[in-house]
Amino acid sequence: MSDYQNTAASVVLDDGIATLTLAQPGGFNKINPELIEGLTGALDYLDTVQGLKGIILTSGHRDFCVGADLDMVYGERDPANILGATQAMNAALRRLEQKAPVVAAINGSALGGGYEVALAGHRRIAIDDPRLMVGLPEVNLGVFPGGGGTQRLPRLIGIQAALEVILQGQMVRAPKAVKMGLVDELASDRDDLMAKAKAWLLANPKSKQPWDDPKFRWPGVRPGSADARNLLLAASAMLYKKTAGAFPAAEDALSVVQEGAAVTFDRALEIEGRAFAKLATSDQAKDMIRTLFFHKTAAEKQKGLPRVEDDGFRKVAVLGAGMMGAGLAFVCAKAGYDVVLKDISEGALEKGMAHIDGELKKLRHLDDAAKAALRAKITPTVDLETLRGTDLVIEAVFEDLDLKHRVIRETEPYLSANGIFASNTSALPITDLAKASAHPDRFIGLHYFSPVEKMPLLEIICGEATGDDTLARSLAFARKIKKTVIVVNDGYGFFTSRVFSSYILEGAQLVAEGYDPNTIEWAARAAGMVVSPLQVFDEVSLALGVHAMTEAKKYRPDAEHIEGVDLVFGLVEAGRKGKAYGAGFYDYEGGKRRGIWPGLAAMVGGPGKQGSLKELGQRLMLAQVAEVGRALDEGIIRNWRDAEVGAIFGIGFAPNTGGPLAYIDRFGLPALVAELDRLAVEHGKRYAPSQLLRDMAAKGERFFDA
Amino acid sequence: MTAYIYDAIRTPRGRGKQSGSLYTTKPIDLLSGVLVDLRDRNGLDTNEVDDVVVGCVTQAGDQGACIARFAALQAWQTGHSVPGVTVNRFCASGLEAVNHAAAMVASGFHDCVVAGGVESMSRVPMGSDGGAIFDPAVQWKVGSVPQGISADLIATIDGVSREEVDAFAIESQRRAAAAVEQNRFERSIVPVRDQNGLVVLDHDEHPRPDATLEGMGALQPAFQMFGEQFGLDALVRRRYPSVDRVRHVHHAGNSSGIVDGAAAVLLANEAKGKSLGLKPRAKIRSVALSAEEPIIMLTGPVSATRIALKKAGMNVSDVDLFECNEAFAIVPMHWMSELGIDHAKVNVNGGAIAFGHPLGATGAMLLNTVLDELERRDLSTGLVTLCVGGGMGIATIIERV
Repeated sequence: MSDYQNTAASVVLDDGIATLTLAQPGGFNKINPELIEGLTGALDYLDTVQGLKGIILTSGHRDFCVGADLDMVYGERDPANILGATQAMNAALRRLEQKAPVVAAINGSALGGGYEVALAGHRRIAIDDPRLMVGLPEVNLGVFPGGGGTQRLPRLIGIQAALEVILQGQMVRAPKAVKMGLVDELASDRDDLMAKAKAWLLANPKSKQPWDDPKFRWPGVRPGSADARNLLLAASAMLYKKTAGAFPAAEDALSVVQEGAAVTFDRALEIEGRAFAKLATSDQAKDMIRTLFFHKTAAEKQKGLPRVEDDGFRKVAVLGAGMMGAGLAFVCAKAGYDVVLKDISEGALEKGMAHIDGELKKLRHLDDAAKAALRAKITPTVDLETLRGTDLVIEAVFEDLDLKHRVIRETEPYLSANGIFASNTSALPITDLAKASAHPDRFIGLHYFSPVEKMPLLEIICGEATGDDTLARSLAFARKIKKTVIVVNDGYGFFTSRVFSSYILEGAQLVAEGYDPNTIEWAARAAGMVVSPLQVFDEVSLALGVHAMTEAKKYRPDAEHIEGVDLVFGLVEAGRKGKAYGAGFYDYEGGKRRGIWPGLAAMVGGPGKQGSLKELGQRLMLAQVAEVGRALDEGIIRNWRDAEVGAIFGIGFAPNTGGPLAYIDRFGLPALVAELDRLAVEHGKRYAPSQLLRDMAAKGERFFDA
Repeated sequence: MTAYIYDAIRTPRGRGKQSGSLYTTKPIDLLSGVLVDLRDRNGLDTNEVDDVVVGCVTQAGDQGACIARFAALQAWQTGHSVPGVTVNRFCASGLEAVNHAAAMVASGFHDCVVAGGVESMSRVPMGSDGGAIFDPAVQWKVGSVPQGISADLIATIDGVSREEVDAFAIESQRRAAAAVEQNRFERSIVPVRDQNGLVVLDHDEHPRPDATLEGMGALQPAFQMFGEQFGLDALVRRRYPSVDRVRHVHHAGNSSGIVDGAAAVLLANEAKGKSLGLKPRAKIRSVALSAEEPIIMLTGPVSATRIALKKAGMNVSDVDLFECNEAFAIVPMHWMSELGIDHAKVNVNGGAIAFGHPLGATGAMLLNTVLDELERRDLSTGLVTLCVGGGMGIATIIERV
């Protein structure tokens, strides 16, 4: 029985200790007016309580609170309303932390605004549960903590430590949070949590927040000191090196920490609020929230995709024990499947298992026995017979149609009844591969990204004959191995590979046109691309590029020929085949990049001409966007969401844009079509806008609501 | 109206650290010392001085709160009638003070102004006044890097090697040593004395006449760690994206020294000079300010020199001697190469690499250095220029009369 109850909060009094439980309807606490009003109501009630000794703030749900109500933030374009909302939250948290000693009893994950609520506690105690995360991930969505986090955390753990959390958008498990000072103490379970909270309150009846103590001294460097100036300069530089200026959220967060540290706490909240209001209402924040939260969550939940509860797979076989094959075997074993890792060479298998051992070592939470058990789930073999009864085969052999056909023919007979054959090809059309299959309805493309242990995306490709059941079971499999999926239709290069090639080839093309390579690289970063084109071309290897371009010609004989392609062929002929070979666009020393190869200038007729960052960056972006337009015309993309999620998580397309379609929206379709037409005349038909883009521009349409 | 220079003096420069001779002398005493000497050697009736304009960069602590006014009061005790103003245009402050004074005289608003500068870098460290340049928000909107990285950036873009900047530094030391040997600063240097009249320092104590190319080659570049490990080099790429790697060539031996010192210059119009019974030494031909891109920061002397020459209706060849402040070796090197100026006419008695650069005072000191040398060689025209924080440049042309 509660002593007080409203929609979002309740209070139970016991011996002068008030347990204030946040529990909004719907199973989640989200920072929104309902929650803040609920908290305020509870505080109003506590004003009437005599002899209040302390407050335990906790959640009635599984999570403590995992952040702001993003639907609300996403839909709000008026900075005055955002500022008002932060003021309401700040006012409630200030009342809470100044009313009595407060313990935030963190019973489940406390992230973003949820962790900011916990920061209003004088002490944070969290349950030692491996699922429990705390942190401030806001910058990953194009905003920063706007509920006092940029001011409370630096005053709690120091400017430097706080900046690391805020600028990197860190989320950590409870034990690490204790080490970092984000949490003060761990509890074993909920009862222990409440007991420890109560004990602390009784032992610390005079507790107040450090920033409310007149004798407050900053932990770490003191604002305004020479150390603080050096720290902020280095932090600015490190940040800029990472973001190339394309991600204002982190930049603003750094400024707000610094500016707020110079003034009193209450006025610092105002500085935070004004900067947050500007950022949260910006196009970039909206585009990032849409793609990196809404679209990504929908992709993870496979919203709108055919669903079966269970894939029915027990035994999975991976063909080819290269880095991808071995990695895949590991990922499957970790998800609980029995795995056969098949190669034609014992040496390759040994290397593959060594790779798996390396991955096993990284699993620090497993003891030796658990690691051995996991390793035992993987059977390396050269013997086809070991594959008998396999429910899913994934081939990861060399990208050669004839080889793949042969592998399909010799392997399929070992599949279990109703077993599925999947190809991990990154480009070859599934329909063509399936011609070697005895049952193309149970043939599908599962395109993973390297390193597969880390890359979250899985691009699923349906060939002409791929059955709905095959897709649904593949989707269930994807859920089990925890991959975020996009589902696309068939065509050479599918979606991600063709957009990726348009990017790196345009990089090579700009070099061939005589632009300074370092400027090209920085222009890409300044546009927001995660990796610059020449660097990543070297990493995937120019040799593979040449192979892929040769293959591509068979499928797209009418594709435009550009000098950039000749340049890449020339580099390979000159023995500069990419990073793994120690030479590409860049020079390498012991595997480390050492700067652009000085001989490159001579290959393109002289020292590089300077182009503006904007001009070069835009060409790199628009070359990709034009390719995305063609993929839309050709029906490769089934759901616009997949273009965004696939581009960002598959190939590192500029996350600050929200994805290629959001980029188009922000550019403005009519302006974009005009610009693409101009570039097509000036630089070639690869820039030409697709029909769909033209039609949408003519009709005044957009991909996503503004 | 023409602004004439009647006299120009300076303290010697003391090493700007706790072991330096001038560390125990407060900046107000450095400054009031030169004001006393300027008065005494010119028999100046200080009641006739309309203003004291003093350059000082780090206006905090001992150097805060308008040190010019309080130094004038302490030095002259003249019925409290002389105002004072302290100006900050970073490293140009001392020359800014001279130009400002010259402008007031030339305009007729003032008749007689004392200009000068002071900086005790041992007592008031650079940067201890804080400022917007340290504000990350300004970094995002404007962009700036520490000067050493700017200097290394110029060397990178110009393709100037470590050996070349080191050789320039050795030459600065060689010229300085020769100048000291021949007592060429005799006319300008006034010793710093204590309250007993005892000499605290009577000579420049920063030069290293024994410096060698080999010894210099062993010095670690000063900004390599900041630039590479702390990532500061990346900050240049917003404007210089082709610079994938800044080559760090500057170090303590080929950059200006950190020192303490003060200087004073007496300016007046012709009539006031006559009525005070003074003989002019030179006149101001032109003054110039310029501003360029703030990340490369230190190329301002090129544009400032061009403007000053144009205003004076002169060419480079019309100037007999130049002083271009050796904030870093690359600064005069870049400036000479851009303007086609012969090193034989530049910093002929060494520069800040040897003598040090007392920020707020340097501009006024360079003015008296070039004036002394014009007189010694019986030449006519001198140009002084300095690079300035924030991408600015300053220049002044004087002509002997």
